[in-house]
Amino acid sequence: MIILAIDTSCDETAAAVTSDNLVLSNIVWSQASEHAKFGGVVPNLAKRAHEERISWVVEQAIKRSGVERKKIGAVGVTIGPGLAIALEVGIRQAKNVAGFLNKPLVVVNHIEGHIFSAMARRPVKSGRGTADVNIRFPAWALVVSGGHTELIWVEAPGKYKVAARTLDDALGEALDKGARMLGLGYPGGAVLEKLARRGDPNSYPLPLPMSGQEKRRKFSYSGLKTAMWRLIEKVKESKDALNAEQIENLAAVYQERAFDHLIRVSRAILVSERNEAQDMLCGGGVASNLSLRKKLRVLTKEAGVKLRLPYSARLCGDNAAMIGVAASFKAVEGKFASDIGLVDRNPDWKIDDPVIS
Amino acid sequence: MKIVSVGNKDRQGVVGQVVRAIRLGKLTALPTETVYGACVDACNQESVMRLLAYKRRPLGKPFSVFVADTKMAERYVVLNKTARNLYKSFLPGPLTVVSRGRHRVAAGVESETGTLGVRISSSWLITSVVKNIGRPITATSANKSYERRPYKITDFDLKEFGLVVDAGRLPANEPSTVVDTTADDLVVLRQGNASVGTGNSVLSRSEEDTKNIAKELWQKYEKSIRKRTVVFALEGQMGTGKTIFAKGLAKAMGVSGEVVSPTFQLEMVYEARHDNTRLKLIHVDAWRMETAGELARLGFEQRVSEGSVVVVEWADRVAEEIREYEEEAVIVWVRIEYGKDKDERKIFWEVREQ
Repeated sequence: MIILAIDTSCDETAAAVTSDNLVLSNIVWSQASEHAKFGGVVPNLAKRAHEERISWVVEQAIKRSGVERKKIGAVGVTIGPGLAIALEVGIRQAKNVAGFLNKPLVVVNHIEGHIFSAMARRPVKSGRGTADVNIRFPAWALVVSGGHTELIWVEAPGKYKVAARTLDDALGEALDKGARMLGLGYPGGAVLEKLARRGDPNSYPLPLPMSGQEKRRKFSYSGLKTAMWRLIEKVKESKDALNAEQIENLAAVYQERAFDHLIRVSRAILVSERNEAQDMLCGGGVASNLSLRKKLRVLTKEAGVKLRLPYSARLCGDNAAMIGVAASFKAVEGKFASDIGLVDRNPDWKIDDPVIS
Repeated sequence: MKIVSVGNKDRQGVVGQVVRAIRLGKLTALPTETVYGACVDACNQESVMRLLAYKRRPLGKPFSVFVADTKMAERYVVLNKTARNLYKSFLPGPLTVVSRGRHRVAAGVESETGTLGVRISSSWLITSVVKNIGRPITATSANKSYERRPYKITDFDLKEFGLVVDAGRLPANEPSTVVDTTADDLVVLRQGNASVGTGNSVLSRSEEDTKNIAKELWQKYEKSIRKRTVVFALEGQMGTGKTIFAKGLAKAMGVSGEVVSPTFQLEMVYEARHDNTRLKLIHVDAWRMETAGELARLGFEQRVSEGSVVVVEWADRVAEEIREYEEEAVIVWVRIEYGKDKDERKIFWEVREQ
């Protein structure tokens, strides 16, 4: 089924058109986007900014997909988790479009979108062929982004159990904050990754978060930030600033510990719960980090599951194509919103809450 | 469970009943000059275990004790010069002085590092009871951990007590100030009405301490929420524990879910039930905001009007916007700084009164 999908859960204003798990278009307007057409000012992260962009983004998604409006079978929209006033904008737009086209609405959980991002296929016209995305359920899913860090047991699409989530900061947030401590600006996770490649991950001692407590099944990054702050103070000694080599080494050490913690907790769960899962889906902005991918390959090999990653970095960060793919699973099962008028935002929607559709 | 009224003219009779109950190992609730206290014989291991179970707090968090006088204190703790000066100027009164313990109380009363908090009460009842028993009694509040301060006997779980002495509603005094005299400098662990000169600042030695300090600040301003929203504006370096503070606040308010950092989502809302009232905790993070105007565009005005409690991390980045609400809301500015030792934090707070 051809789906027009919309996601405005936080910073990004996103729309996409998908056909089952084939991505026909995927438009993301982020603050740093080169498509910024509304003057030179970086738009504020708020309701009005989404309102200013949403119509244009949806139009672009339809135009670039080359799909005629009447071929759209349903509209998919993220109703949570996310920022309430941002979610509202996407939901209102989705209701309008669904009403105008007289098509049903599918509500999607944002995390669910990240899970299915690894199942998206690229259009054949790009000439690069289509990847094997024949995922077998049950499967594991790891979502690592600026706002979420969750290891999820996917019994089947729509049936989830969270095996571990963060007690404090999300992984992507912890990386951005580490970058800020090193003076790398915001969002600094990507810069941190680049610098870390040139540094030595064992150049400084930095304790691994909750080492020895992996069985608690919790991720935590607050202690790592504290330790990093103290380490930077120590490395600086009396000087005002760090030199380039120190920054590279500190970036490498910090990123390594952050990832090792994620891997160790995940390993404890994957290994202790050896089961029929054959795949591990991985999504979220941090899933585009190459150093993390390397560690995940080792982990999944050890656990006897196949690592599944989105085919493009554009599918890792927040986007609507993943919402379209997730919505197609629901559409196949006929899980449409029974009354469009009653569809409302759900800012704190946990993926293991009873599914509302 | 038995309730006796302190209005009873037979003071000696009341004291006698309390002494008998404590000697029998019963959990006893007594009015003090601050709140109702849960009192047991601090040297009786079984009684202390009963108290621990009632309070529902983990081993390792100590109980302070009431003694009759300085002489009795010296049998249980080592008093240095700082401590002696404090005893002379402040006791009897609402001050708890932490000193090195002599390990003569039951396990779980002294802290893990072997220190013991001691108070001398100005209440005739407490002092007479301690004198009669001849040993210290515990001075913890009669509520369970993280529940409301007990100013009247219906504020705590009456049926768990063997004997309750009812003095009606106590004046809403702050709990005792707690000072630690075992370090080089005098350290305030809890700021009550007795001011030992450092103003509104306390020391946290662990994440658990930070949560506890948040709880105490919440309890201090809890009564305001019926009239005005309470805003906790948190400032502090990366990694000092602002989210930890928010977690302590949420726990004290009765939020059951896990409170996590709202940095990415900018705002999270939690519902709580506290004494049969519905409370709303709005957790905002300004780390990603460039200007105070962004907090306004997030709908801060509406948040202040609808929320019971708003906690803002990185409040210094949006201070201008927060100050706009000094009339509508009670704004508690909280600053957390790194301390000397690895886990230490200094926590300062301030409310600019209208």
